[in-house]
Amino acid sequence: MSVRRAVLVVLGAALLLLTAATAASAITFTIPTGKTDRCLQCHGKPGLGTVNVNGVEKSLTIDTDAWHQSMHSRMDCTACHAGFEGRDHTPDETKGWYRQAKLTACSDCHSSEFKMYDQSFHGNLVMSEGSTKAPACGDCHGSHGIIDPTTQKFRATIPQVCGRCHGDKESTYLDTYHGKSWQLGDLSRAVCTDCHGYHKILPQSNPASTISKQNVVATCGKCHPNANSRFSSFMVHVDRSSPRSSFWVWLMEMNHALLIGVLFTLGGLHCVLYFYRGLREGMYRRGKH
Amino acid sequence: MASIDTPVRDRGAAVEPKARPAVVVTGARTHFRRFTPFQRWVHFFIMISFSTLVLTGMPLKYSDKAWAQSWMGVIGGVENAGMIHRFAAMIMVACGICMVGLFLKILIQYKGRYWGPGTMVPTWQDYRDLKAMVSWFIGRSPRPHLQLDRYAYYEKGEFWAASGGCSIMIVTGAILWYPQTAARVLPGIVINFALVNHSGGALLAMGFVVVFWHFFHAHLRPEAFPMDKAMYAGGLPLEEYAHERPVEYERLVKEGKLDGMLIAPLSERGLKYQNVLWWVITGFALFLWAVFCIFVVWVTFNWITGF
Repeated sequence: MSVRRAVLVVLGAALLLLTAATAASAITFTIPTGKTDRCLQCHGKPGLGTVNVNGVEKSLTIDTDAWHQSMHSRMDCTACHAGFEGRDHTPDETKGWYRQAKLTACSDCHSSEFKMYDQSFHGNLVMSEGSTKAPACGDCHGSHGIIDPTTQKFRATIPQVCGRCHGDKESTYLDTYHGKSWQLGDLSRAVCTDCHGYHKILPQSNPASTISKQNVVATCGKCHPNANSRFSSFMVHVDRSSPRSSFWVWLMEMNHALLIGVLFTLGGLHCVLYFYRGLREGMYRRGKH
Repeated sequence: MASIDTPVRDRGAAVEPKARPAVVVTGARTHFRRFTPFQRWVHFFIMISFSTLVLTGMPLKYSDKAWAQSWMGVIGGVENAGMIHRFAAMIMVACGICMVGLFLKILIQYKGRYWGPGTMVPTWQDYRDLKAMVSWFIGRSPRPHLQLDRYAYYEKGEFWAASGGCSIMIVTGAILWYPQTAARVLPGIVINFALVNHSGGALLAMGFVVVFWHFFHAHLRPEAFPMDKAMYAGGLPLEEYAHERPVEYERLVKEGKLDGMLIAPLSERGLKYQNVLWWVITGFALFLWAVFCIFVVWVTFNWITGF
């Protein structure tokens, strides 16, 4: 092999490599190498349609911006959507798969949180009783747009998140000083999870609950150092407009409504008529000081 | 030198006042003292603290409304508003203590004579005055010239509404300020009661005492418009007073106590400030009256449609 021939081979190989590299970069443009990006090629587009999960229509479109800002943005889709192949697929094929992702996808990494959730009222409903309505991880944390639950941004959403199912509790919470402060943008006051806990939420009847008779004073005491059992018997979730919620509070509220109604009407009439007579009799013109 | 024979400015009285005994007033003390400087200072501090309490408290009551949320931002958030609210509340409490002091003074100095001439306690005469006014309002009789003693029925009404309301607001406010301390002796439901009362009482105070009562009777009432100057100047010209409150006037003359109630009118400078204040405060009162009227109509509308 002559030197001339060797040079030609090297040059030819270089040319070939260059062409291949150009071709490869052209391919990544249409078929991304990262699994996530490959999924978002289709699922990042709006109007992809919906899929019915547990009777709820869910959009197949992923909010790309929310995903990129989320805690998990560096992970592949298949890290949670396990057992899923990056190929053409039909909605029927992935039907039973959503539930699996909903539960085990999180527990793979967040096992201690999942263990707490498993012992909770919500967890028991989902895991043991097969409820499709009770919340699993994603129902509170979101799925693709998960944000850090220790941030103020997440804290600001808590009453609304709980209120999606516990609407009556949300509205009565918003009628307390805690709720009013939260609504006015002060996130330092108690929100739902500060009293009820988060992963291991239990009903009041369960002694292990944060709001059980045994624990409620300590729960209030987290913020109110001198709280006693009488203090803790303050009714947070009381609907003032209903006699069934608390008869005495309702009675007092109605008493005020009546008082305000009667006094505003009588006082208003007294003023308006006085003003009207004064105008008609020219007292405002003559009464100049 | 003013005398009581100086013609009383006709303020639209349909019924002529009774003839009054002539009295010569000596010196420059031509005005009748309606309020002592102490009372006027208490009024000033109540005015300041009340406005502050309303401005910092109302956004909490209507926390779900956009205006409340943006206003809360202006005054620096819940924590700040709470601090200001509690500071203003302490001024209000101090004023309340002053009023209790006045009550005790009557108890000791006048041997507990809360009733009788010049009383603040509602009497049958107040009922008759109100009836005469209502009869004029609905056009059944000409305008009455009320034979008033020291306080008219609407002033008594306001005094008791303000005193009662203030007491309730102070007690419930204290419970909400120190809920743990309150719970040492009281059951937890009392905190619920305090919330309902403090919130309802605030609306009642703002709407009834301020909008429908005080601002009207002190600023917008035909006889007072644009402002009842007695609270600023301390008194009013003797002739006007004799015309407005003939019963007390005649009693004081008969008892020979009138001279002790006379004060000098405001100085030139004081009058200048008064004229400015009239229009500033009355302009503010008119503005607030309009805003509050809209607000109260809006609250009533919400309340009715809420059912």
